[in-house]
Amino acid sequence: MSASRGPADEVPAYYPGCSLDGLGKAYEVSCQWVLRRLGLSLDRIVDYNCCGATEVKNLSQEVSVVLPARNLALARGMGRHQVVAACNGCVYSLTRANDALSDEPTRGRINDHLTAGGSPRYDGGASVQHVLEFIHNRAGPERVRHSVKRPLAGLTVAPYYGCLYSRPKRYTGVGLTPGTDDPEHPEFLDELLTACGATVLTDYSAKTICCGGGHALSDLDVSVAFSASVMNEAKRAGADLVATICPLGQINIENNLDRIRQTYGTEAILPVAYFTQLMALALGASVKEARLKDNFSRPDLFLRGRGFP
Amino acid sequence: MPIVEPSLVEVQRTEKLALDGIDVSGDWNTFLRSRVHTDLDLKVLEWVQSQPQGETISRCWQCGTCTAGCCMHTDFGLEEFNPRYFIYLAQIGYDEELRKYVDTIWRCVSCNKCVERCPKGVKVEEVVHTIGTYLEVTGIAKESPADRFDRAYTENLLRRGVLDEAALFRTYERLEGRKTPTRELLRLGLSMLLSGRLHTGPLAHRARGWGRMKPVLTRLMTEDLRRRRDSATGPGAVASPGRRP
Ligand code: SF4
Ligand code: SF4
Repeated sequence: MSASRGPADEVPAYYPGCSLDGLGKAYEVSCQWVLRRLGLSLDRIVDYNCCGATEVKNLSQEVSVVLPARNLALARGMGRHQVVAACNGCVYSLTRANDALSDEPTRGRINDHLTAGGSPRYDGGASVQHVLEFIHNRAGPERVRHSVKRPLAGLTVAPYYGCLYSRPKRYTGVGLTPGTDDPEHPEFLDELLTACGATVLTDYSAKTICCGGGHALSDLDVSVAFSASVMNEAKRAGADLVATICPLGQINIENNLDRIRQTYGTEAILPVAYFTQLMALALGASVKEARLKDNFSRPDLFLRGRGFP
Repeated sequence: MPIVEPSLVEVQRTEKLALDGIDVSGDWNTFLRSRVHTDLDLKVLEWVQSQPQGETISRCWQCGTCTAGCCMHTDFGLEEFNPRYFIYLAQIGYDEELRKYVDTIWRCVSCNKCVERCPKGVKVEEVVHTIGTYLEVTGIAKESPADRFDRAYTENLLRRGVLDEAALFRTYERLEGRKTPTRELLRLGLSMLLSGRLHTGPLAHRARGWGRMKPVLTRLMTEDLRRRRDSATGPGAVASPGRRP
């Protein structure tokens, strides 16, 4: 973990991770849309590799550190001190690698592996943040409020952060690094969506519960039960929509829709969208531009019904 | 340590008891059956401690904070999923009791709430996984669905450096003997393909320069897997070179 985030005006390196270039395309597209509209930019790490998420560490510690370290090395090679990722799992493994690499013998070994694999070395100094934190820190609710073209007025949104966004603090550096969100009761998303004109359920009880995505395929009972809780709790609190900040969460919840319908009934289903899709909408994108039709829970139908073009 | 395994707890329960017309039925006394352990073996503790993912186990002082908030224990309601207790059993080397949890311990969803909250800086989630790994490599537990997924995931990403999500889904379904109807797969696949979300097979992404990285990682993976098996099953626990001082 790092106590500094480098120069405040640096254009950070952007680590898309496999999801944003694959199933999470709507997240990627809407994210770029929002960044552009807010005058923010990120520089893509071109030859990035999968970060290993939470899976690889269960098999090999060495590999679970080399994978993210290669990406951090590429970012430093671009001259950057900051890395922005949009997936909670990526934030986890990248910050976990930074923690492991604060140990010198480990750093030496990992660098040997990197060199042998033709990658640049990594000697620390790349601080990792989630794209939500980046937007919140750089643009902030104030600039968002001024940039809104079509307020999300009348929409009640449940802000769903899930796991691994700012926890565990020993990896993400909460308390040591400026601009990090609270790991137990985060509020950055609440503030940004409020700035977009939505009614945000700050006390939403499922805000930071697990969606079961880690076991999306290997433990269906659990992933269905948790995905259902995310929507049920939102519904109970009066939400129209759930906003997510993680492709694994979004995809896991939506992948379970049929099973949730069978077990808990159709009433248990709510439309679920990436927070950047909702922000894009407020900043002037159309439902189509925000790729809301990509989502299996079909927020596009709901939002068109509410008069969004 | 004052903590005992649930199988030793005996509760004296009165089903129907009224005193002066007041219903006082319920649990009255809790007894602990006395026992003498002769089969404790600290090998499990030593092994977990020797793994970089498990080295923080000895910090645990059994406060129970992890279990109190654990989403499998509390939210999902799987009471026997108790990270504090798994750690306790490993700390005292009680394999015989630990083996009762082979179908439970792998279900940790890696939410990291426990790691966030542990007052002692135990990496609870990684420690729990390491205990599970011990059970698996020593043959006490069979490979779990989660282990199979981790393996399929890792093999998939090592191939090109970038995950092929669709291929991973297919591989894992095969490993579990499940089959999503072809019609459904085609329907999904087509909509994904048309919206540019399907990058599988020939369309899969690849990290440039992966050709050199791949053999290094494959070798590291093989070495790590062999080392952890040998050190758990061979004579005496061998410290892993990945261990931090
Ligand atoms: S929270 Fe930490 S110290 Fe407390 S029981 Fe769990 S692992 Fe042990
Ligand atoms: S990471 Fe695992 S052990 Fe820890 S709280 Fe979550 S489910 Fe429980």
